[in-house]
Amino acid sequence: MVTYIVRRLFTAVLILLGASFLVYQLTALSGDPLADLRESNQPNKEQLIQQRIELLDLNVPAPVRYFHWLGGVAQCLVPFVGQCDLGYAINGQPVTEALGRAMGMTILLVTGAAVLAIILGVCLGIVTALRQYSTLDYGVTFMAFLFFSLPVFWVAVLLKEYAAIGFNNFLREPHIPIATIAVIAFVSGVLWFICSRGTVQRRLLAAAVGFVLAGAILWVLSVTRWFSTPGLGLAVILIAGVAIAFGTTALAAGLKNRRALYSALATVAIGLVLYFPIQPLLAQATTLMIALLAVATVLVGIAVGYFMGGYDRRQNINAATITAVLVAGMVLLDRYMQAWPAYFGNSRINGRPIATIGSETPNLRGDYWVQGLDTFTHLLLPTTALLLISLASYSRYARSSMLEIMNMDYIRTARAKGLGERTVVMRHAFRNALIPIATIVAFDIGGLIGGAVITERVFAFAGMGQLFIEALLRVDPNPVMGVFLVTGIMALVFNLIADLVYSALDPRVRVKA
Amino acid sequence: MRFGRYSKAIGVAAVAALALSACASAGGGAESTGEANATGGTISVAEVNAFSSFNSDTAAGNVDINGKIAYMTRGGFYHIDNELNVVRNEEFGTYEKISDDPLVVKYTVNEGVTWSDGEPVDAGDLMLNWVAESGYANDATSNEEGEVTSGTNYFDYAGDTSGLGLTEIPEVGDDGRSITLTYSKPYADWEIAFGGLTDGGIGMPAHVVAEKAGLADEQALIDLIQGLERGDAESPAEPNAELKAVADFWNTGFDSKQLPSDTSLYLSSGPFVVDSVTPDQSITLVRNESYNWGPTPNVDEITVRFIGAAPDQVQALENGEVDIIAPQPSADTVELLEAIDGVKVEIDDQLSYDHIDLNYSGVFEDANVREAFMKAVPRQAIVDRIVKPIKEDAKPLNSQFFVPAQDAYTTSAENNGSSAYGEADIEGAKELLGGETPEVRIMYNKDNPNRADAFSLIQESAEQAGFKVVDGGLGASDWGAALGKGGYDATIFGWINSGVGVSGVPQIFRTGSGSNYNGFSDPEADALMDELMVTIDPAEQDKLITQIDKIVWDSFYGLPLFQAVGLDAYNSDRIEGIVYQPNQTGVFWNFWDWKVKGE
Amino acid sequence: MTTTTSAPTVHGSGEEKPGLSQGQIVRKRFIGNTAAVTSLVVFVLILALAYTAGGFFGIPGWWKYSHNEVNDLLNGGRPTLQLFPFSLGEHPFGQDRLGRDTFAQTMRGVQISVTVMFIIGIVGGTIGVVVGALAGYFRGWVDNALMRMTDVVIVIPLIILAAVLGQVASRSVAANLQPLVLGLMVGLIAWTGLARLVRAEFLSLREREFVDAARIAGASSSRIIFRHILPNAVGVIIVFVTLSMSSAILLETSLSYIGMGVKAPDVSLGLLISQNQEAFSTRPWLFWWPGMFIVAICLCINFIGDGLRDAFDPRQKKFNAKKARDTTAGPRKSAGPQAKEQ
Repeated sequence: MVTYIVRRLFTAVLILLGASFLVYQLTALSGDPLADLRESNQPNKEQLIQQRIELLDLNVPAPVRYFHWLGGVAQCLVPFVGQCDLGYAINGQPVTEALGRAMGMTILLVTGAAVLAIILGVCLGIVTALRQYSTLDYGVTFMAFLFFSLPVFWVAVLLKEYAAIGFNNFLREPHIPIATIAVIAFVSGVLWFICSRGTVQRRLLAAAVGFVLAGAILWVLSVTRWFSTPGLGLAVILIAGVAIAFGTTALAAGLKNRRALYSALATVAIGLVLYFPIQPLLAQATTLMIALLAVATVLVGIAVGYFMGGYDRRQNINAATITAVLVAGMVLLDRYMQAWPAYFGNSRINGRPIATIGSETPNLRGDYWVQGLDTFTHLLLPTTALLLISLASYSRYARSSMLEIMNMDYIRTARAKGLGERTVVMRHAFRNALIPIATIVAFDIGGLIGGAVITERVFAFAGMGQLFIEALLRVDPNPVMGVFLVTGIMALVFNLIADLVYSALDPRVRVKA
Repeated sequence: MRFGRYSKAIGVAAVAALALSACASAGGGAESTGEANATGGTISVAEVNAFSSFNSDTAAGNVDINGKIAYMTRGGFYHIDNELNVVRNEEFGTYEKISDDPLVVKYTVNEGVTWSDGEPVDAGDLMLNWVAESGYANDATSNEEGEVTSGTNYFDYAGDTSGLGLTEIPEVGDDGRSITLTYSKPYADWEIAFGGLTDGGIGMPAHVVAEKAGLADEQALIDLIQGLERGDAESPAEPNAELKAVADFWNTGFDSKQLPSDTSLYLSSGPFVVDSVTPDQSITLVRNESYNWGPTPNVDEITVRFIGAAPDQVQALENGEVDIIAPQPSADTVELLEAIDGVKVEIDDQLSYDHIDLNYSGVFEDANVREAFMKAVPRQAIVDRIVKPIKEDAKPLNSQFFVPAQDAYTTSAENNGSSAYGEADIEGAKELLGGETPEVRIMYNKDNPNRADAFSLIQESAEQAGFKVVDGGLGASDWGAALGKGGYDATIFGWINSGVGVSGVPQIFRTGSGSNYNGFSDPEADALMDELMVTIDPAEQDKLITQIDKIVWDSFYGLPLFQAVGLDAYNSDRIEGIVYQPNQTGVFWNFWDWKVKGE
Repeated sequence: MTTTTSAPTVHGSGEEKPGLSQGQIVRKRFIGNTAAVTSLVVFVLILALAYTAGGFFGIPGWWKYSHNEVNDLLNGGRPTLQLFPFSLGEHPFGQDRLGRDTFAQTMRGVQISVTVMFIIGIVGGTIGVVVGALAGYFRGWVDNALMRMTDVVIVIPLIILAAVLGQVASRSVAANLQPLVLGLMVGLIAWTGLARLVRAEFLSLREREFVDAARIAGASSSRIIFRHILPNAVGVIIVFVTLSMSSAILLETSLSYIGMGVKAPDVSLGLLISQNQEAFSTRPWLFWWPGMFIVAICLCINFIGDGLRDAFDPRQKKFNAKKARDTTAGPRKSAGPQAKEQ
């Protein structure tokens, strides 16, 4: 195993060397870094040209310059010196510094989208696989292909126009006209019809329920001006919490397992009881505190499940923990919503919260919650754009993987020996279907970092993509190489991880030492 | 046992509660911070480039945004207004011409003008500014590849050193707040040679630079500068280690994309001081509390946000994220902006212009052919096609030197014979060619749609007149390198005209000068330009330039096509006081007049 | 994605109608897939429309305007397309601010984008198949060398490499060849996924009996590769190439959008959107039409690819949970789920 990893890492270094040489030469070939100066009619043009030639070593031929650059990079490998030298950008900035910052921004942008896309994509894929060739399957397949076919910049313009400018205009006077309510309710009815199954009457009934429910909720939201002063309140948390308890139990343990159900319901109760006592503490929240509270939530879930006892405590614990996390999430959401009016009214927001550019409102001063909302409103659009596009491929992968598994002999065996459908799907099929997905995810994360280039550009997000494009347009090799190094290393490392994960999850595959 | 379990649980809970309250944020409700004494409100402006240095005078820091931030955070002797007049700020300091020959100018900073750390702005700062911008001690020689072969270049100054380079080491006044510059010969642009806000004002604080460079104090720096010898590239001296240290710090010490922890690196002597920077995203300026030497801004805070693409700027303006934008104009942008409620759009000329130059060699060696070609250029049609969609009243530019905003433009345009080249005169061109069909290769940047459009219009028209036009367009990254290298007969590109000062004239039109790409050479014009450079009286300067303009037109140099158009737009429901300005300071030029309505 | 042993398609429908070749089976299955067939028809229609309207290879098209011809603005440049009663009008998709006909531009954009896409598909497909086949068939040092080469290309994110190559391409050739060269350049790097896939396929196929049989019969390596193994891997290849073409068209539009792909005065769909982004609220048709065509083309290709996958690979056959439950749980049904398939 260790030999295998060492060998892989060694090849990886060789590969990086080859690829980086290639990219360096290509970048150097792609244009004239002095173009902007040559056009200038400043009296000291010659001097400026010379200054730049000196800064970027332009009088050295590109292949030789590559080795200078490589020498600087090699210093990064010397431990404890911290003397990384990735060269200078055309504006005299050290690349190391710019890259570090850009990386942080990209990770901020990509993480949320990736996590959401994986969770939602896998869920959609599994559900559509279980109901192959149903209206739902066709609907989701069509949507997946549609999303997959959308150019991200095109979506971005639409999102900015409607989700930001349009929605902000709406927030000025958050009243939903009856016609809009009717349309949305109708759409909801159609969705319920598609998602439900059974006889036509049953599905029509579901559609009616969906129509009334959506209409009623929107009407209440509009009348109570919920969008100006949002919040969940105890009642919503209670109702949703109980529903979650039943839902998670049904998936994790089956509703027949009473102890699991009671554990889940107990955590909901704990959450509700703690709702008021915890508010003063939340008012002074810090990131560390929220992290600790998250840990505490998980511990509570585990404890409740454990103390409930029974023959299979793991099922209790699973149900209780998932419920606990979700309920705690709702309490957190509720607290964010409480901070909304303060954020909304802030003089730097001016009642237009959804942002089209950047990652934060400059100089916004506010508590933890206001800052959190600010990050949320800025990440909303780019994350949505990225999510839509990567959602499609995950749902397709998950669907085909699940389909393949469901046709396996051992699934038939499981059914034949009388296991319930829940156990067959959740225990036998789902877990095995995740194996190929896990490797694909690992591959994808390597690529995702480079893939956000366009999204960053449209949303003026100062990440690595921006750094890359701007450097390339100015024929500035050092930042291009910096970005490439990061993405290249990421790709190689995650490839390795993908292979290792695959061999760990699938006993048929063994890495050759 | 059961009992024990519960008490344990309670104990754990208590400890957890303590731990959690320990990591609670100290301040509690932090919302009131900084808002208490706010009265003027805040304005947010979109800019294309990202902030990268507090010293906008170095080659690396010479990015428009750095200059704009310097404009708001520095004091200076004058600024340029929207009508291109030099406006002095007597509350900051004064400068006066003491004698014409030799030209002697005395600069004095008023008492009470300080940096934001309380140190006075004084002669040391002026001296540092001078030594950097005059290139006095530089004695380097470079070879063709740009390598320094001998001597030393100290300060990486991005501007032109030819003006201040004429001065001797300044004398420091007895008050310690003034210096006197003595020019070795009269210098036409003396009024805008030193300490203007547009060029970064009195740039870097001498006491900080002295300290960081390892000198004892500011006085040591003054002494160091006063002891310098003028650099001579012919016989380079040993590098001066102390000056090198000062220059090195000046060159790179102020470069930072984020707010340094050391506040001395971003001292302000102007109305605003930098408060926070988010790298590549935004920079926020707040009032400099001690500032009272010049126009006082109405707003408390100015935020500059960096947004690259024009459509994104427009959407950010529409969404209220920024209040002022100044994107590259296009007809679509204008139309879009005009469709937004509560946004005022200002469109006007910019100080750059597109022109077609004819090489004085090859097919165009013959003045007749040049004249015929100039007659065939449809200037009016080019303006109609390219500029009219953005600016209704656009006209062809009729002078190689003046722009319509300058007083001398009308006289010069009437007098230089440009009136013959409005609409294309195909017949006239044919007549001049007399049946010949010269082949003309035109070089231009084909990635610039305006240039490509101009080329196709010229091509169409010139071919009617009998020219064979070859498309010599090159890509954005190549055409600049091809300038002046030959291989083409005519070229279409743009010059930037600073609108003030006359040093740009010989740079382009003098025999053998660096930017004289087409080989124009006229002894009379050269003589006039020599005279121009030592003429101090603005009216005399205009007269000389008008004469040169006529010579250039008479020799069939080529044609100026049109002046580029600039644009700014702002949220007029919320703010007022924004006035268009054509030079590189752009809309920031009167930031002190900006006002949030109702504040 | 499916790199385990590949079962040639003999089960299922093949048994009932013995006279069918593999190609016929695949065709039959594909035709049975409504979504895929509809997409194919729509795609062909779009291509026909684009190529006949704008003309190609110097043959003039039937549409009266060319993409860069400037006309007078009629009716504020609004689209004149009418559905009831149907009429194209003077400018069915409207005009841009200079009076250029949006229909002509969009059609030209489709032509260029689709051309680039096909070139990427063909070049990338060929290289991928050759590299993968050689590596998988010969194994050993050939495999090692080729796969390390693949790794070198694969670690560079496609968009980054394509952007650099796009810049190089736009510098070095005449404007009218530029889309071709762009396609070629991107094709030269967009083969890595396919190469890995084909290699895996070859590794498993070369161990099969029919390959041994051919080898014993004295067939040369090239004959084994091209006549025996490749036909068995063709399904995977076609599916992969089809689906990668939809990524290719998106890549082209993205590149043009950031100004590193097709450049003015030529047009591509991505470039049109990028140029007309600002016109979004004032002249929305300039933004919507090219966008709709990108989405339509991409959607069609994806459905075609999906249909091909189903046709070539019977493993993702129809699976019905309810039926499966009934058949395994209820003793009344005698036949297993396999037989229930048809």
